[in-house]
Amino acid sequence: MDIITGLLTTAVLAGGVLALAALGEVICQRVGVVNLGVEGLMALGAVTAIAVTISVPNPSVGFAAALLVGLCFGMVFAMATVLFRANQVLCGLALTLMGTGLAATVGRAFSGMPAKATFQPVIVPYLSDIPILGPAFFSQNILVYLTFIILPVAIHYLMFKTRHGLNMRAVGENPGAADAAGIPVLAMRFWYVSLGAALAAGAGAYLTLAFVPSWSDGIVAGRGWIAVALVIFARYRPMNVVMAALLFGLITALGYVGQARNWPVAPALLGMLPYLGTLCFIIVPVIVLRRMRQLPAAPAALGLPYFRDVR
Amino acid sequence: MSWRLQRFPSPKPSVALAVRAVAILLALVVGGLVVAVSGLNPFALGNQVMKSTFGSSFGLEDLGLLATPLILTGLAVMITRRIGLWNIGAEGQFYAGALAAAAIGLFVEGPAWLMLPAMFLAGVAGGMAWITIPTLARAFVGVNELITTLLLNFVATLLVYYFATGPWRDRGAGTLGSTPRIRYEMPELWGMVHWGFAIAVVLTVLAAAVLSFTRWGYEVRISGANPENALYAGIPVRRRIIAVMLLSGAVAGVAGMLEVAGTVHRLQGGISNNFGYLGIIVAVLARTSCLGVFAAAALMAFILNAGIILQTQGLTTSAIVALTGLVLLFTAIGDEFAHYRLVRADRATA
Repeated sequence: MDIITGLLTTAVLAGGVLALAALGEVICQRVGVVNLGVEGLMALGAVTAIAVTISVPNPSVGFAAALLVGLCFGMVFAMATVLFRANQVLCGLALTLMGTGLAATVGRAFSGMPAKATFQPVIVPYLSDIPILGPAFFSQNILVYLTFIILPVAIHYLMFKTRHGLNMRAVGENPGAADAAGIPVLAMRFWYVSLGAALAAGAGAYLTLAFVPSWSDGIVAGRGWIAVALVIFARYRPMNVVMAALLFGLITALGYVGQARNWPVAPALLGMLPYLGTLCFIIVPVIVLRRMRQLPAAPAALGLPYFRDVR
Repeated sequence: MSWRLQRFPSPKPSVALAVRAVAILLALVVGGLVVAVSGLNPFALGNQVMKSTFGSSFGLEDLGLLATPLILTGLAVMITRRIGLWNIGAEGQFYAGALAAAAIGLFVEGPAWLMLPAMFLAGVAGGMAWITIPTLARAFVGVNELITTLLLNFVATLLVYYFATGPWRDRGAGTLGSTPRIRYEMPELWGMVHWGFAIAVVLTVLAAAVLSFTRWGYEVRISGANPENALYAGIPVRRRIIAVMLLSGAVAGVAGMLEVAGTVHRLQGGISNNFGYLGIIVAVLARTSCLGVFAAAALMAFILNAGIILQTQGLTTSAIVALTGLVLLFTAIGDEFAHYRLVRADRATA
């Protein structure tokens, strides 16, 4: 029994990191921009949170600082890709290299140091008493509730139930038509891309403030890329992202539990599980959907810069 | 008479070249500013880098040693760019090639003239094997190769780490996290620079010639530029994609094999100095030019070498990674700007 509870608790905690980053990427891709810099943004967020909590021992301040740093780097990325219309793949890779490099350089001073302040579990009365599920879902830290309930519901509502959300999606599907209808395409893209980047950095802060409470080089370990893959797997829908993140978290948790219980598999091999799992989840559904002749619909203008002046 | 900016479908080669120079310069200036803010003198550091790189033959040999894998990983990425795809898994294929070559070198006995080619073939096979799944997924079901190739990098890194610290670790001397020394070594060409450098150069020239001057290469380029059109013209696009991606993996695998047989002589975790990722920058800087790969690889080798020299000054190689990211960002922006030309308004009837 408690092995399942432990597995689920870790899955929720690990999945939350992915969910937060992937929610940011959903916002970004829905307006038509691929941000491959999530990995770098997460590293920046993670190191910012650690650095800030050393002088101000309050996790919320650390988290907010990470969001701010993410917003700033997101604005640089958005300026390059949306306003200057540079190649999104290249700018994303550049952001990943810049972010991981910078974070490792800055973070050398804090390497191995435990976080001075972390998010503590908030126990939801009554619900946390549910056997098995209670401890896993209702006695987690505040960030878990934020990423699994508040944010996805808010984003879903914004994107699918409001006029603003309709405009947002129009910008990602057909920027030319959106522009003709008077929607500010570039402003919309710029701010949502920046906002998405802020959430990615927030995911990094989640990592160091609630999951692995210390900084070490390479701590992000491809989670940013997994988050990008997760968005495709979740077919660009915020509610699906949360479910998928839980599934991906479960795979990660399996590796941790395996290590903790001394399964006769080397830790390095167990560590491959998230990447191999992601690989399966990104390839297999496409095969199945092709059989059913029902390919997942990415936003039609995804990855394409918008030129009003060149037709 | 008025002038206006007009966007052209492709940039002028001369402008694209100038853009690269400006991008690199800008990145260095920004990097220098950051260094200055953190309390170091960027000019003194630059001076030290120049002196230790170009002041002695050791420095130049280091450059050649670092350029060898960078030429190959850059070539690996460039090959896939020709068909419009991104192989950002050169890092993983590098590791896989190194692993396969090390397996042959450690566990098979034979004369060196036979074993080195065997290790080379193993490197080719390792690199190819590592890109097989992304290749098939791309060619048959259209799964984007960006993420699939990248995810396998982490798997390869862990796999090499597992073997180097686990079953193949050196049980004798106190070397932690690496295999015993591999006996078969690439002979030296000039100082520390081994024949791998020559192999890298020859492979690059060969690949460029095939891509530029043969029918096959032409078909690859057309498949990249316009897949529907290529299919309509009877070009087997799927087969070209498979061939190009496997070739790319093989080239990156060779880079890994040469690193094992020529430079490190052991298999160890982190044997790749981010060579796979830097290869992306090499390919981007080189655009589609073969000579460009050499120049870009030399530049990246210089920057990487600078990072190693400056370690004594408290800078880390991760600072260099950040700097290369800056180069890439500025190049990407500049590439877009290079599409614009000033034209006279009365002539522009677009």
